[in-house]
Amino acid sequence: MVMYSERGVRVLANLYPSNPENTVGVLTMGGKGVRVLVTPTSDLGKILACMHGLEIGDEMNLTAGIQVAQLALKHRQNKKQQQRIIVFAGSPIKYDKKTLEAIGRKLKKNSVSLDIVDFGESDDGKPEKLEALFAAVNNNDSSHIVHVPPGPNALSDVLISTPIFTGDGDGGSGFAAAAAAAAAGGMSGFDFGVDPNIDPELALALRVSMEEERARQEAAAKKAAEEAAKQEKGGEQASSSRDATMAETNSSSAPAVDDKRHNLTDDEAALLEQALAMSMDDPKSTNVAVADTDMSEATADDHELALALQMSVQDNEKDLQSQSEMSKVLEDQSFVSSILHSLPGVDPNDPSVKDLLASLQGQSESQQKQNEDKQENEGDE
Amino acid sequence: MASVASAPIPRSQVDLVDFVDWRGVECLNQSTSHSLDNALKQGYRDDDGLHLESDADEQLLIYIPFTQVIKLHSITIKAPEEEGPKTVKLFANKEHMGFSDVNDYPPSDSIALCPENLKGQPVNLKYVKFQSVRSLTIFIEDNQGGNDISKIQKIVLYGTTVDTTNMKDLKKIEEH
Repeated sequence: MVMYSERGVRVLANLYPSNPENTVGVLTMGGKGVRVLVTPTSDLGKILACMHGLEIGDEMNLTAGIQVAQLALKHRQNKKQQQRIIVFAGSPIKYDKKTLEAIGRKLKKNSVSLDIVDFGESDDGKPEKLEALFAAVNNNDSSHIVHVPPGPNALSDVLISTPIFTGDGDGGSGFAAAAAAAAAGGMSGFDFGVDPNIDPELALALRVSMEEERARQEAAAKKAAEEAAKQEKGGEQASSSRDATMAETNSSSAPAVDDKRHNLTDDEAALLEQALAMSMDDPKSTNVAVADTDMSEATADDHELALALQMSVQDNEKDLQSQSEMSKVLEDQSFVSSILHSLPGVDPNDPSVKDLLASLQGQSESQQKQNEDKQENEGDE
Repeated sequence: MASVASAPIPRSQVDLVDFVDWRGVECLNQSTSHSLDNALKQGYRDDDGLHLESDADEQLLIYIPFTQVIKLHSITIKAPEEEGPKTVKLFANKEHMGFSDVNDYPPSDSIALCPENLKGQPVNLKYVKFQSVRSLTIFIEDNQGGNDISKIQKIVLYGTTVDTTNMKDLKKIEEH
């Protein structure tokens, strides 16, 4: 019996180094009376040392034991620690249910959790009594009770599978779990499937390796992006005979793309690289077209301008035509003379006007005029 | 026992809810579904449907630390007539008290509430005893009707600060 319970305590004690702020104390309540063997301490050696030479009493004073335990917890050094009592009830209980319930209520009032391990002899309704005690003290499942039937199983093995050891949202069992750690650490929800309470070093190692892997991947992605950017810039330099503005826009867009690429994964980076390569080809071809045919581009750009140009070309032609028309009109003498007659202050017979007309027209015509003038003169006389 | 003078709050006194250090607020023997926030926190305390309730028995032990040192002038407790508290003991600057400790020290002030107080009338305290308060412990010993459960809808503390430096306002000088 002693061996079993000793092992049980040892397993419990092994949990505590997981949280350096835990403290554990041990007391016995059988035999001569309640004795505190170890006041709450984080020194594991002291706890194990006291396990030697434990006596087995015939009856245990459960209420006194719990009360003394409560007192010991009250005088704990770190007041922020939560209080928990784990009772290994091996011997029969001599107290009645009512007393136990009162004790349970008192524990609940002072927010002390209670874990009960019922083993050994079970008579006098011991399980029921302990259940009543458990019901009185339980507050939001912070307390647990385990009944271990007598049998070949070792006590420690049975206890390991119970919630006492697997722990609940509070972060496992123990006389004291640091409340500050519970608030800050976020104990519910363990990363990497490893309970940081049970094995903080392993949890830390896993987390560090995860971060290292992530950093390595990011560095690799960044490197791939840089290499792709270098290839792009090389392609740009090869195409030297390009329009200045187009090249500038290309180079300015490449860094922008690089920045975006840093955030992309490798796959996306490869795809983007391909897309960029394809887009690079197109500007190259259009560049040539633009360089050669400025006018066509201009016309393409400005349809109105093109129309205007065309019209101006046609107008030139028309002007030429109109000029020729004008000369023809002037050649028509009768037309000219009729115009001259209509003009006020102009005497067609005036020799200066005639000379003017003659100069405008061809010599043959002027000769005709002179002939006509002669005829007129002759007519007048 | 101090007289339960129900005077209006002097204008210099402020509601001390802004100076409560919420990380350290504790309440022993409170029911999980009806917790201290219902009675103390802004918004919750004004909702009469939300109240603080005791669990195992009618006593409650409320521990309120402050972010800075304050002077406590008066307190308002709003509660139902039957289950509201009757005897209330206040302890200044006693950390982490338990129910067994309440009889070990004399309280800084002890008040007996009448039904008028429970409607929301403030109770003046022994101001001289609360001149430099870092934390306040409120012990509800029993209730008006002698019931097993005590209920409180609202607790408001009135007082002033002692003009200490608020560390958050300090700005680090840039070192060259």
